[in-house]
Amino acid sequence: MKPPVRPASASPIFGLATALVLLLAQPAVSQTGSVTGRITDAASGAALTQVQTYLEGTGLGTLSRTDGRFVILNVPTGDYVLLAERIGYAGYRSEITITDGVTVELDFVMVSEALGLDEIVVTGTAGAARRREIGNTIAQVTTADVLESPQNVDALLQGRVAGMQVFTASGNAGSGARIRLRGNVSVAMSNQPIIYVDGVRIRSDGFHKNVPPTGYPGRSGNDVSSPLNSINPSDIERIEVIKGAAATTLYGTEAAAGVIQIFTKRGHRGGAQWTVSVEQGVARLQPFGFPSSERPSWEDATSAAGGTSDFMFIDPWLRNAHQQRYAVSVGGGGESLQYFVSGALEDDLGVLPNDSQRKSNIRGNFTFSPATNLQVQWNTSFTNDQFSNTAAGNNAHGLTLNVYRRSRNYFGNEEKENLDKLLGQEITTQVDHFITGGTATYSPTSNFSNRLSVGYDLAQQNNRNLRPFGFVRAPTGILADNRSEFETLTFDYVGTLSFDLTDAVGSALSFGGQSVTSEVSQTVAYGENFPGPGSPTVTTAGTKLGFEVRERVVNAGFFAQNVFDYRDRYFLTAGMRVDGNSAFGRDFGLQAYPKVSGSWVVSDEEFWSFDGQLKLRAAWGQSGRAPGAFDAVQTYDGVGWGTQPAFYPRVLGNAELGPERTAELEVGFDATLFSDRLALELTYYDQHTTDALFAVRQIPSLGFIDSNGGSSQLENVGEIFNSGIEAVVYGTLFENEAWSFDLGATAYTNSSSAGLPEAFAPIAVGGNGWVVDSLPAPIIRGECVENPDEIAEPIIVDDCDYGPNAPTHIFGINTNISMPGGLRFSARGEYQGGHYVTAGVANSAVSRSVIWAGCYDAYSKLSSFEDIANGNLSNWTALERARCDRRNTDSNFWAEKADFFKIREVALMVPVPESLLGDAASSASITVSGRNIFRWTNPDWTHFDPEMGGNNDNNPVTRDGADPGDFLVASISEHIPAPAVWTVALRMVF
Amino acid sequence: MTSITNIKRLFAASLAAVAVSSCDTEVVNPGPIDSSFLDDPASQLAIANGAGRALADALNWISYTSAAIAREVHPSGSTGSFGISPNQQDGRLEEDEVGAHWSFSHRARFLATNGLERIDGLDPADQDQEQLAQLYLWAGFTHRLLGESMCQAVIDGGAQQSHRVHLNDALAAFNQAASFGDSEVQNAAIAGRASVHVQLGDWDSAVADAARIQPGMSFVMPYFSIGDDAQANRIHRASRAQPYKAHTTRFTWVEGYGQEPTGSPYGDPRIPYVVTGTYGDAATGCCGSVDFNPQQKHGDDDSPIELASYEEMQLIIAEDLILHRNDIQGGMAIINSLRTAAGMNAESAGTLTDAMTFLKREHAIEMWLEGRRLAALRRWNATQTPGDLHPLEQVGDGNNTTGSHLETRDFCFPISEAEWDTNPNLTR
Repeated sequence: MKPPVRPASASPIFGLATALVLLLAQPAVSQTGSVTGRITDAASGAALTQVQTYLEGTGLGTLSRTDGRFVILNVPTGDYVLLAERIGYAGYRSEITITDGVTVELDFVMVSEALGLDEIVVTGTAGAARRREIGNTIAQVTTADVLESPQNVDALLQGRVAGMQVFTASGNAGSGARIRLRGNVSVAMSNQPIIYVDGVRIRSDGFHKNVPPTGYPGRSGNDVSSPLNSINPSDIERIEVIKGAAATTLYGTEAAAGVIQIFTKRGHRGGAQWTVSVEQGVARLQPFGFPSSERPSWEDATSAAGGTSDFMFIDPWLRNAHQQRYAVSVGGGGESLQYFVSGALEDDLGVLPNDSQRKSNIRGNFTFSPATNLQVQWNTSFTNDQFSNTAAGNNAHGLTLNVYRRSRNYFGNEEKENLDKLLGQEITTQVDHFITGGTATYSPTSNFSNRLSVGYDLAQQNNRNLRPFGFVRAPTGILADNRSEFETLTFDYVGTLSFDLTDAVGSALSFGGQSVTSEVSQTVAYGENFPGPGSPTVTTAGTKLGFEVRERVVNAGFFAQNVFDYRDRYFLTAGMRVDGNSAFGRDFGLQAYPKVSGSWVVSDEEFWSFDGQLKLRAAWGQSGRAPGAFDAVQTYDGVGWGTQPAFYPRVLGNAELGPERTAELEVGFDATLFSDRLALELTYYDQHTTDALFAVRQIPSLGFIDSNGGSSQLENVGEIFNSGIEAVVYGTLFENEAWSFDLGATAYTNSSSAGLPEAFAPIAVGGNGWVVDSLPAPIIRGECVENPDEIAEPIIVDDCDYGPNAPTHIFGINTNISMPGGLRFSARGEYQGGHYVTAGVANSAVSRSVIWAGCYDAYSKLSSFEDIANGNLSNWTALERARCDRRNTDSNFWAEKADFFKIREVALMVPVPESLLGDAASSASITVSGRNIFRWTNPDWTHFDPEMGGNNDNNPVTRDGADPGDFLVASISEHIPAPAVWTVALRMVF
Repeated sequence: MTSITNIKRLFAASLAAVAVSSCDTEVVNPGPIDSSFLDDPASQLAIANGAGRALADALNWISYTSAAIAREVHPSGSTGSFGISPNQQDGRLEEDEVGAHWSFSHRARFLATNGLERIDGLDPADQDQEQLAQLYLWAGFTHRLLGESMCQAVIDGGAQQSHRVHLNDALAAFNQAASFGDSEVQNAAIAGRASVHVQLGDWDSAVADAARIQPGMSFVMPYFSIGDDAQANRIHRASRAQPYKAHTTRFTWVEGYGQEPTGSPYGDPRIPYVVTGTYGDAATGCCGSVDFNPQQKHGDDDSPIELASYEEMQLIIAEDLILHRNDIQGGMAIINSLRTAAGMNAESAGTLTDAMTFLKREHAIEMWLEGRRLAALRRWNATQTPGDLHPLEQVGDGNNTTGSHLETRDFCFPISEAEWDTNPNLTR
């Protein structure tokens, strides 16, 4: 049964977007001349799209199309300066003369700036800065380089940034990824980087899991969605990523895990340019189980429902899921006002029967220049995201668990008609996400600039979780209706005063303040025992309960920084941020975070004679991560007892609780060789988190145990170390007028360890993960088999350290090929390795005597499954006996080396010949792309996808029965992996 | 030009707003209750209830798990949520599997003792005598639960001590509760105290208290059906087939016992169960799929668990008569009075061993699934008390169709792994 999805609200939004677009599209004014031409890459000759081309001081301009062509019509006669700009390229400038009735033909090339030393970056800087001034690395993802935008920002980022891991937790509709930059900087708090969109801070942690507020906290699809995916990838111009404290100091207390800043597209000078795209696709799950061809002879090829071990027997419920996206945008404007307006609609089915997602969004970005020294940018977007999920995960009411456990499930059989009854649960989510913000930049003098940003992020989430009357596992019905509101209010000011100390020495003093107020409120109505069939509300329930959570956190601070430069090639930056935070303990004062960095553009030196550029850089800085809103004060919960009031312990409290503080040293260089044909970036980072917040287990006999059974208290007692290397190489291997072949690679290593005071016991963080002194944080630890390959009874050893749970090395490879006729091909792959992941799902099944596909190798040595119960295991190795004999099995034994390689994306773009377009469009292209289409796992990996490590819930304020730090660990539960997605997209520019 | 000026003014005003907002990080969030609020006299009801609920939580876990170890129920497959772990299926209580039992019991102890300290700190005129009495009662039963169930006592992070420390604390709390005027509280305290005297081997005091309890007395721990798993009766939850069918009466002494009066499936109304014709959650190591014949004593989420009763007191008196006063017939008369009151036939015994066999069976029946059986087995084992247990209650018979399938039996809950990990005062 497919739960109803409310389609009504999507269409009006799309209609509104169209109306806005029509309203804002300015009719062209008739003029007397024009200029046209084609822009190509100087090195490869490939057409350059998205180049902003305009006539200086006129407001006339356009963006180049897919084939690199541009046309500026109706230009009054006269002399002009034509400017062309694109990220990653040196600006182009040409003087032209327009005469009446004449079209000026101007083909030109643009030179790629592999290092982009004079490119302006914003994130982590005080205001804005040229790359040459910055001592840390800033990764940048430019969508102009992406042949076709993927479905969401998670997919856009995946595999594109060295040092960034984007975990696609499951194949559920609406699933959001966990993002980690340079590993885990905290074992108790969120490691999700903070997110800015056009200067507006938005929520970075996942939205609330759709689960009833009482009872087992897994009656759900057991997944969370990400606020990051509210942003339409097609609206994005670029994304800047800074990865550690050396770069994030100016963001203060909440930025230790890094910062992701998204910049959406702005309007260009010139007439309206429309872009329309239509995309159709299909999502299909690849086999993730154990090959059925290798099943034991006594095992049937299919289950009673028709499932095979290739898909862990869930194949009868899987489908090839149709996915479609439609988008329209228009940009343009004059000298004083530019606009970019867009709308998009996405309508996807998921591969599981109840999974679907419908997302629509609109955006309006406006740039207003009321005076030469004042510019105002105001960007607003609204996204309506509705998705439905199939009950999954570690959930006895869920489809996946009951299918995976075969005849030992909660039905006692594998009949499809019985398991289909579980699809009666309706798990639907709606998120309305509104982001608006403005930035005013005022420069009263040429050396004094002021930037003021105000931002507001509002996400309203409605989770509805219904097991209707007659549902097989709750015959009288259960309904939870959860309304959550997430607000983030940002004020940000920065002033910069620049002056020259001498002819050679310059100085730029920046100062400012920032205030971020985050508020989460959640109200849940819960009802059970409905009088009969029908579509219920909580009101009609026999038993009704209500729940409410409200949490507000304020972080505010000031900073000052000075950049000294010597002859524009030596740069020294020193700064300090001072923060207060409402979550600090009452005895804790303001926190100061210093930074210092330097850079040297060696290739600007007179002695430099090599064919390329070189910049050396180093940065050191600190930033922090605040504890939760309630962690500092000793509190009790009002838990109720029947209908009576009752107190339970909640938080032990710690008046001296403060932020954890991460200091990071970053050293590296950026270089180009062979006339900029090869670019190289190398960075060594070394992070040290002190006062790390650890969820220190309290002595249980003290009795301060919360309502979830937890007894830990956050304390600033630990240390976390992360160090490693990041390398990025990109080069043009071959090029001529028709072809070019680019190849790139990234490498990332991470070595982490925790520092735990001697008096503290190792800390369990779920999923067989532990925080242990001097070992990676977290490490997979537990019992292991000392004699795994011996034909003997297993010798079990306690407290074995398998290895880190987070990858220790990630390698990426990507290629771009330009072909004759404007065809372009791109591909990206990613390898992650050095880590261990536990398949708790296997232990849960084997301990119930399920005939488990992960044990097929061992079963093949038996004459029947009953041999296990009868102890006829003489051919089994000790490891097989530990894993596959119900009497021995433990989730520890299912900890496996999790190295994998995946092809993240392949895409082929074919321009539509102009002859076919006629007057219908100025350019068009068709792009065929495939994502997540190939997976390789190391030979020791048994089954499932190593990356489906779960994103169950990492929200501190939602009920999850978890101590802080839980869900730090990726472990495999009863989910499906992310499917492969194939799409065909038609993109037309008018 | 005016509009430009206005924009600049707006810019300046916004700047001022940023400066002001950046200076204030003081936040008061609703919801959690500051610890100091519990010292307000108005908090006494919620303090007492917190201690009561905490005891209910602890009893919920201990009564279920101990029922599996004592073979009041037999595992039927589930090992996870509401399940019985493979170790517990075999009769072992392991340190790493008793965390909830240990910590919940100590939470109950903390809330009772901390609550008493807080109320003690109030002006006497503000003390709510009703809540104070109730809190002493909850404290008494909490200490009893710890003393009966835990192998050793650990108080507030101290060194391990004899479990008798908890029993002595229970006596002190019951003495206080019994001093209040409320007759229900008094009777519960006296009955609770009697059972503690038994555990401490003070039979004279036990019998003296037991004799004060009148027929019909029953003091129960309430559970609730309000959509909250934690407040529901755990034994029922684990056997109500929604979806858990984690335990069964199959392969227990309950199955087939006392069919005489009514035929089937059971005759003794004190040990109701039902034959469903289905199997439990999953296969068990001992016996594959197990017939799912769930208990019906705890028939709903809000089924209470008895903490003290007239019947328990009578069995104390009977045991004392049989064991210590050589009055076998006197003891059997009490046993038979309980049986006939339940509609069952009378039994006769000529020897002490036979009488104690009947007494142990009657104890099992009267106090089935109340979290007390394992403590009784512990006591009888420690003193090598005469009298046989039913074969399906005994360790050692691994027969796949008739045995208890217990490989061993632990008689008490060990100190939890978390306590060992965190408490520096413990020594192995």
